[in-house]
Amino acid sequence: MTLFDLALKNIRRNMKNYSLYIGSTVFSILIYFTFATLKYSGDIGGMAEASKQIQAVMGASAFVLMVFVAIFIVYSNSFFMKKRKKEVALYSLLGVRKKSIGFLLFFENMVIGLVSLIIGVVLGFLLSRGLLSILLKLMGMEVVAGFTFSMDALINTCLVFFVIFLFTSLLGYRIIYRFKLIDLFHAEKKGEEIPRVRVITAIAGVASLAAAYYIALQDVLESEVWRLLGIGTPLAVIALTVLGSYLLFDSVLVYVLSVLKRNPRWAWKGLNLMTASQLLYRIRGNAKTLTIITVLSATTITAGGAVFGVYYNAEKDVQKMTPYTFMWEGQKQDIDPAIVESQTSFNSKLLRLPYDETEMEYAVIDESTFDELAKNLEWTDIQKLHRDEVFAIDGFYDERWSDKLESVTINDTDYPVAHFYEQAPFNTGTLGSTAIVVPDELYGDIQSEEKLVQAVQVSDYKKRADLSDKLAAATDNFSSRTADYKAVVESSGALLFVGSFLGLVFLVATGSIIFFKMMTEAEEDKSKYAVLHKIGVSNADMKKTIRGQIGIIFAVPLALGLIHGGVALASVSNLLSMNFLVPVIIWMAAYTLIYGIYYFATVRSFNKTIRREYMEG
Amino acid sequence: MEPLLLVKNVEKSYKKSVNTAKALEQVSFEIDHGEFVGVMGPSGAGKSTLLNVLATIDTPTNGDIFIGRDNIAKMDEEKLADFRRDHLGFIFQDYNLLDSLTVRENILLPLAIAKKKPAEIAKRVDEIAATFGISDLLDQYPYQISGGQRQRTAASRALISNPKIIFADEPTGALDSKSATDLLESMSSLNEQHETTIMMVTHDAYAASFCRRILFIKDGRLSKEITRGNRTRKQFFQMILDELAQMGGAANDAI
Repeated sequence: MTLFDLALKNIRRNMKNYSLYIGSTVFSILIYFTFATLKYSGDIGGMAEASKQIQAVMGASAFVLMVFVAIFIVYSNSFFMKKRKKEVALYSLLGVRKKSIGFLLFFENMVIGLVSLIIGVVLGFLLSRGLLSILLKLMGMEVVAGFTFSMDALINTCLVFFVIFLFTSLLGYRIIYRFKLIDLFHAEKKGEEIPRVRVITAIAGVASLAAAYYIALQDVLESEVWRLLGIGTPLAVIALTVLGSYLLFDSVLVYVLSVLKRNPRWAWKGLNLMTASQLLYRIRGNAKTLTIITVLSATTITAGGAVFGVYYNAEKDVQKMTPYTFMWEGQKQDIDPAIVESQTSFNSKLLRLPYDETEMEYAVIDESTFDELAKNLEWTDIQKLHRDEVFAIDGFYDERWSDKLESVTINDTDYPVAHFYEQAPFNTGTLGSTAIVVPDELYGDIQSEEKLVQAVQVSDYKKRADLSDKLAAATDNFSSRTADYKAVVESSGALLFVGSFLGLVFLVATGSIIFFKMMTEAEEDKSKYAVLHKIGVSNADMKKTIRGQIGIIFAVPLALGLIHGGVALASVSNLLSMNFLVPVIIWMAAYTLIYGIYYFATVRSFNKTIRREYMEG
Repeated sequence: MEPLLLVKNVEKSYKKSVNTAKALEQVSFEIDHGEFVGVMGPSGAGKSTLLNVLATIDTPTNGDIFIGRDNIAKMDEEKLADFRRDHLGFIFQDYNLLDSLTVRENILLPLAIAKKKPAEIAKRVDEIAATFGISDLLDQYPYQISGGQRQRTAASRALISNPKIIFADEPTGALDSKSATDLLESMSSLNEQHETTIMMVTHDAYAASFCRRILFIKDGRLSKEITRGNRTRKQFFQMILDELAQMGGAANDAI
């Protein structure tokens, strides 16, 4: 029997171990390839070119995804190798040369990599097509034939995974040379060292998190960091966050657990001792896993929150810029009276005022028109004008770069601005964003050409696309909330897509990693629980310690992930000048809920696994 | 005085596809307070099954087992857990220590589960560790100490809650002769000085010779019973060897 036969037979017999490993590599490739296809696809790519923000989001997402798949594969590989050390030792004991075993492991891993790559790409291709067309439909976009097989995506995927597999293969090869035969036999038994508390790591962790947060919250347009690093800034923030989280888990968690464990009042009560020790005992491995979970949670929360935020804000934003369903210059048009909620005809004049070196144009309306327009929109702070006063309106007002108008000179007389409105009671598309409201008497004195304007509010504005198109063709200077809303939803399409995709993938991945990890621990630790059962630990106590251990693994990264996500979303909302508070809170609550379901499922399976052990044994 | 442990017509059978295999058949015996009883027999005779059933880790198919007034064959699982915690102690061949806990923490675990006060726990741990000579090792982890030390840790854990009865399953099975003798002597002295009741399963005649009485089990049934009486340990050892030789087959096991 040749070594090759031996290896083949071995694969067949250890199918369970292999399938877990192959499953996780296929899963990683599948996700990565789907994302790469999306990134390189002409349609999304075209959109991305139009917007630097989307480009940054895509770049950062691809990087996070790459880091994620790399860590995930290395993690499953090391778990897989740990289980196989005994087998390797046996070969060695039987006199197979180290070199041969090394080559065997190396080639085996490369073959697994190749097989997974093929399966992953094929599945990824199917998935990307299915997923893309579903999502595009949801976004109300026409399904374009653009999502075909992308050669760039394939090359990119192959390259990334070739490096990853080469790395894990070399790790496998190295194992043979680094360990002595005796160690190989005890690989599974060897107790992991109980880690010591290190203050420096704790400080470094906090510092890098603080730095990441600081950079993230900088204003894109003014920040030095952004100027220095440019599009690489998100990457720097992500790297610092990942590092900081890891160090934090590695040191702070160890510290807290050690203090708890050393305190008899807490530790020597029920199974608290067991809970703390189990977590502490695995903290090295846990720190890595917890970091991954944190990063994934943060990414999911950020991506989902941003998308949901943009979506949530799309309507509000349009509402702010285009409060009336339709506005145009000229005569009234025929609109079905049944759907009209309000209709206003008014006159407006044009005023040029000096601003810096140049002039600014202001639309001028009289106070009664302003009152009527504002009342139709159900404004609450409609103030009264005194004689010799005016109101100023700037629909695009942003305190970072806009100036507030303080007085206006009309016909050589200065009129103080009594109130400054940061929102326009008319469509900025028709009248412009800036306007001045003058007393009715003064309006007549202004020498300027006058135009007739129509403002119409109809019900169910999102469904009036046909009417909107008809009016657009028939009128001048037409603005329509219906059309604007549609445009916003379409233009945020890429963002929406990336966000939902990453959200979905990472939520599944996070859940799977924790589940995978806890089930592994259940397998490794079930004998411990059997001992506890024998010395008289009740089921209730046993469940309590399991809930506690799994609870920490779930809750700590979730908490940190929520904070990371919160900071990231604050930064994104600055970037897009949108208020995300409400949608983000809703999204975070939803995420926590789904995450909670994973928690209960994991606790259940864990309990089942260990119960099976001690009921049988 | 009523016996501490009363076993009445205990049976245990395992279903194997068609026919059922009986591991224990009509086993009945008593153990009084303060006894040190050994259970011997060839491999597969049902020794460990008997111990597991008595120790409430396994449930008998038929029969009654009374420890004090409690019929443990009829208790539900939750009650059994409490019963084990409060009244029984265990020593296993492979120690069954938790390697993520220090020696001290392993020993105090039963008291922690019973929600005793920390001060009381600390006092008990120091006492028991002194008895077994492991006071210096309390802050080590199980993988840092020797097999004999591990088994003494396990014995300390078994005894810390002052159980009514200690069940020992091949406690010397993985120990060298020096460590085994140390452990057996400690157990023997606990039995004599503190009247601790011990039931030990072993196939090692040397270990068995430390007992006061020995039950032989063969093919799931009790086959014979011998008592040490006033004999010296060496005489008793010879007697056990003779007995094993008569039973046949098991003689190889004994050495």
